[in-house]
Amino acid sequence: METTIKKPSVFTAMGAVFKKEFKIAFRYPTWFISMLIWPILLPLGYVFTAKALSGTDTSSLVSFATLTGTSDYKTYMLIGTVMWSWMNSILWSFGTSLRVEQVRGTLESNWLCPVPKISLLLGYSLFDMIFSIIYIPIIVLEFKLVYNFHFVGSPLLALLVLLVSIPAVYGIGFIFASLVMWVKEANSMVFLVRGMIMVFCGITYPLAVLPNWMRNVSKFIPITYSINALRAVITEGVSVGDIKSEIFILLIFGAVLMTLGLLAFNYTQKRVKSSGSLGQY
Amino acid sequence: MLGYAIEVNDLRKEFQVKKKNEHFWKKKNKEKEIFVAVDNINFDVKKGEIFGFLGPNGAGKTTTIKMISTLLRPTSGTIIVNGENVVENPIKALTNIGTVLAGERSTYWKLTGRENLEYFAAMHGITGKKAREKTDYLLKRLELDKRADETVEKYSTGMKQRVALAKALIAEPNILILDEPTSGLDPQSARNLREIILEIKEEGRTIFLTTHYMEEADQLSDRIGIIDHGKIIALDTPQNLKNNLNKTNIINLELDNWTEDVLEKIKEIPAIENVTSKFNENTQNFEVKVHVSNGSETVSNLITSTISSGIKIINFRVEEPTLEDVFINLTGKSLRE
Ligand SMILES: Nc1ncnc2c1ncn2[C@@H]1O[C@H](COP(=O)(O)OP(=O)(O)O)[C@@H](O)[C@H]1O
Ligand SMILES: [Mg+2]
Repeated sequence: METTIKKPSVFTAMGAVFKKEFKIAFRYPTWFISMLIWPILLPLGYVFTAKALSGTDTSSLVSFATLTGTSDYKTYMLIGTVMWSWMNSILWSFGTSLRVEQVRGTLESNWLCPVPKISLLLGYSLFDMIFSIIYIPIIVLEFKLVYNFHFVGSPLLALLVLLVSIPAVYGIGFIFASLVMWVKEANSMVFLVRGMIMVFCGITYPLAVLPNWMRNVSKFIPITYSINALRAVITEGVSVGDIKSEIFILLIFGAVLMTLGLLAFNYTQKRVKSSGSLGQY
Repeated sequence: MLGYAIEVNDLRKEFQVKKKNEHFWKKKNKEKEIFVAVDNINFDVKKGEIFGFLGPNGAGKTTTIKMISTLLRPTSGTIIVNGENVVENPIKALTNIGTVLAGERSTYWKLTGRENLEYFAAMHGITGKKAREKTDYLLKRLELDKRADETVEKYSTGMKQRVALAKALIAEPNILILDEPTSGLDPQSARNLREIILEIKEEGRTIFLTTHYMEEADQLSDRIGIIDHGKIIALDTPQNLKNNLNKTNIINLELDNWTEDVLEKIKEIPAIENVTSKFNENTQNFEVKVHVSNGSETVSNLITSTISSGIKIINFRVEEPTLEDVFINLTGKSLRE
């Protein structure tokens, strides 16, 4: 018998993965509650620490303001923690997506479909991104209600910073997803990466307080630039011209990390095909 | 070439395995050992036939299936599926193949049967109305329609296996590849599934299946390749495989006791070819199977040797050869060992 099956396009496959992930995610939505509470809880400790240190009189905020350009330390910290959470969630959800399929036993079923395997990962990132787009306004609203978070600058410019961060962030995600499928263990790697980001990218403090060598390390982490640019936009209301070097650097990071991500994925794909570890867990 | 759905030439798969008892401080032991899972096999599957791959656990069946389905890269050799080299053009090859791997976890348990099929349809480029129609058809066809909108985790093992089969059929592949399709199923579900497999063959599809159940291989296959330790040791129709044994008599003894001494004694009798035994938990007796290459003279020798060792013969049967006997004749061991 002869059939004329055409292989699906990458976009069809991405769409299918997106739809499937969406259904699975919203079939058991209890996690959603923790997604709503977590962004409020996470900065709480930092905010209270800052409050305790600065006391009731505002004089101690002066040094903070000279280092950061703002005395709104709450907003300052919120931006850091949100970026850190974003990275963290990409590592946990997107970065472990292939591994989760592997443990479920469905990775091989997907590998049996006549599509470029990268479409699986692309579908996951589409789901992740659309999810973030819905999630961000919710967080901003929550912050407004709980922390009296307020924008000095343009929300659209802040969105632009997030957009230009996407290639770099997902590039790290691609590398991570490939490594995890291969090494078959995510926990220690997630802890390492997010620990580095927490310390080096200044999620609750200005980089100026870091010793020199640490500041040098932070230059090689793209999130540093996202956080800097976002803070400048939101708390100081700078214009696009003031953050153009950050935007430029983020795009370069994006190109490099995306390329590395695709290479890592291809390499992993070859490796698991010859070692037979695609389906093992 | 037109007559073949799958052509396998000199196919070999080596795995690197870490040596056990390896001491990390001894540098010399660091080299990895190479294990040959599939050892230069050759076979062709004709269009429209059911080709059975029969062999014990660890023989290399799954490894072969995964190489044909592009999940594993062969160390050497070629696989042509419908004229397409699977290593050079995996995606093209995959449009012709529907595969069900062993185990029950190949579909999404948190999706319904219907959602699973629609997902895999899309992953084969079938979307919209066409996907819904095919899904409906397969759900009905595999008797899943009544529970199509329940999540797969609530299905029985037999139903899960049928969803996996439906998934493999969703793009109407020319070739269906099944790895141990009935393993883990209760006898009734297994029987159902075998009937379905025969129906699928009637539609004109080629089926390549593996099994370690000889009855299943016998019942389903047009031709059988017997594989052991990564090598194909026989390949023919089930009837021919058994006919080749027709000079051999197969004798089944049920005994109340069995010892190494008796085994040695029996093996010394001329014209005795193979002796295998197993203990039956239910009857608490030993079932001993003996292949004898000539007539009654040997049989009386066999009985005398057994009785003179003080062993009671509870039952005695001469049997038609089965594929199990073919396997024993080729390897000297039972399929289940
Ligand atoms: N990924 C792998 N790495 C190392 N050895 C493997 C791997 N996969 C299978 N093997 C070994 O290859 C042999 C054949 O396995 P398999 O093809 O699964 O046998 P079967 O399906 O006939 O039971 C077994 O000894 C198994 O342990
Ligand atoms: Mg197997």
